[in-house]
Amino acid sequence: MSSDIRTIIKDSLFTGLISLALFGPIVGLKTFSKGAGLFVTPHWTPVIFLVLACTIGRFLIGLNSLRKKEIGFVSKITSKVSYYLDNKGKHFAITGVLFAVVFPFLPFTDRYILDVSIMILTYIMLGWGLNIVVGLAGLLDLGYVAFYAVGAYSYALIATTFGWSFWVCLPLAGVFAAFFGILLGFPVLRLRGDYLAIVTLGFGEIIRIILINWYEVTNGPDGITGIPRPTFFGLPFKKIVEDGENSFHTFFNLEYSTMHRIIFLYYLILILALITNYFTLKIRKLPVGRAWEALREDEIACKSLGVNPTNTKLTAFAIGATFGGFAGAFFATRQAFVSPESFTFIESAIIVAIVVLGGMGSQTGVVLASIFLIGITEMFRDLEQYRMIAFGGAMVLIMVFKPKGILANRKPTITLREHDSK
Amino acid sequence: MSKTLLNVENLTMKFGGLTAIDDLSFSANNNEITSIIGPNGAGKTTVFNCLTGFYKPTEGQMFLNREDKTVNLNKFSDYKIAHKAKVARTFQNIRLFPVMSVLENLLVAQHNELMFASGYSIFGILNLKRYKDKEREAVEKAKYWLDIIGLTNRADDNAGDLPYGDQRKLEIVRAMCINPKLLCLDEPAAGLNPKESSELNKLLEFIKKDKKTGILLIEHDMSVVMGISDRVVVLNYGKKIFQGTPVETRKSKEVIEAYLGVDE
Repeated sequence: MSSDIRTIIKDSLFTGLISLALFGPIVGLKTFSKGAGLFVTPHWTPVIFLVLACTIGRFLIGLNSLRKKEIGFVSKITSKVSYYLDNKGKHFAITGVLFAVVFPFLPFTDRYILDVSIMILTYIMLGWGLNIVVGLAGLLDLGYVAFYAVGAYSYALIATTFGWSFWVCLPLAGVFAAFFGILLGFPVLRLRGDYLAIVTLGFGEIIRIILINWYEVTNGPDGITGIPRPTFFGLPFKKIVEDGENSFHTFFNLEYSTMHRIIFLYYLILILALITNYFTLKIRKLPVGRAWEALREDEIACKSLGVNPTNTKLTAFAIGATFGGFAGAFFATRQAFVSPESFTFIESAIIVAIVVLGGMGSQTGVVLASIFLIGITEMFRDLEQYRMIAFGGAMVLIMVFKPKGILANRKPTITLREHDSK
Repeated sequence: MSKTLLNVENLTMKFGGLTAIDDLSFSANNNEITSIIGPNGAGKTTVFNCLTGFYKPTEGQMFLNREDKTVNLNKFSDYKIAHKAKVARTFQNIRLFPVMSVLENLLVAQHNELMFASGYSIFGILNLKRYKDKEREAVEKAKYWLDIIGLTNRADDNAGDLPYGDQRKLEIVRAMCINPKLLCLDEPAAGLNPKESSELNKLLEFIKKDKKTGILLIEHDMSVVMGISDRVVVLNYGKKIFQGTPVETRKSKEVIEAYLGVDE
């Protein structure tokens, strides 16, 4: 027992030393320029706090593990939650959707919260789209943001050039993204694992660099401005209404509010995301969905059973890309502005992180991971660049307590029990 | 209907300077079990890989005589062999889809029919009856095979969780789900205990008799080979050294030499 305490103290002192070495220069020294010179001012107080926090934290973790060696407190909760989700998944999903539907009208919902929710829903949709490629087909795609970009730019270009409405441009954006999905799919058909990841990563960068340099079409780094906002079945959300024109608030005799448009966007992305989810759940139970999972498990066995790996992989890429394209079109119409800066590698990384940490192939897992990762990052927005520490911290937490993802259980697409009961 | 199912003529497979199969000709009959035996490295699995389209042979022809027509296996590559030519195979180290359920494993084997019935997923997404019926049919077929190997009560468990012997049997019936004319089994008895081994023999006899499928078998376990094969092909260093019935094989001087060496 005493030797255990000694180890814990030793551990926490060591942790303190490491944190001192890290935080000392990073937090403790701040440079500022004065005239021609560069000077350093020390900030030792925050360093002391941080080092103390790390040391005491390590000590407490050690004590906790000493107290009950069997199961930690957190993993007990998470295993309970995942048990609940596995067995009552349907109730959870329905409650979740109902909550999402009434969410904009809850008393505490303000514009900021709604904006964050729209962002989370966009990531949920992207996560669900990528889940087809990564979770089901097992093709690690690190360039998913490319399809998001293609969707956003095709929407922006078509809408600004031809003035077509959102509902016409949305499917077109999906089609373009699917085309690019197949374009990426062909060269990477024979690649697996790390090699596939590298090529898809490169593809994402290629698209971004094309967007920056093809100035005549994409307007380069300046981006495309003045993208038309979506309309409510032809009714725009405009404050000033000209004669003979209708706007959303005049048509329904409402007081004008900017919230109308936000709420509409919220429902739009909610519906798009739910369509993605419905489609994925459905296609997973079809032969092509099973073939994706079989391909993920063993490509050679698939070939020996007559499954065409080329077509199967290409459909996964194309369908995954289509949903990325839809999300991109939504992004473009929400921002009314697109530029290559929105489609950097970090976006791909976040989406992959959501899929992997949610538990590969789990739809609910994607939702939880999006809320957790994006929500936590957003909560720390006041800390500016330090909020990425929160992002990293959230990832570490999931990896420590749920190394296979939040929800890692796979349910069979068809069971003999169900079949027999019919 | 001709009795010969498979005709391999002058098959040669070279990997760079190494000749794995050297001018091999043999035939296998309908409704018979033909065993391919030989010492390690004799080229048995390479023959399978050529037959099932994983390798493209350097030289030689392979023909499959089906009721309707004669198929040239050289013309098909990888997945088309199973899909179009109806040659199925299993692997030396079991290749199931471990995290998918037993039933799903058998449904993946019926992929092409189901895919067609689901209108390449379009009808399936729309939940049309045509696809639902076909799916029910596929499940019934899977159930039929599961009943035969006695795994019906484990249909919803992950294939990877089955005991080793059951995994072997599952892989064989999975291959049978594509309705093959020729079934190629790569060491199906490896790692089985005597009881499982005799169950396997029964399963193979059943497939041969009731399913009218020709079986090509690579095996080291001589009790299996001698017990169930109708004909034996013996390979050594990529060359055929003997072909005949099990009894003839046991007496053959060449075979004994290949396995035990020659007296000085």
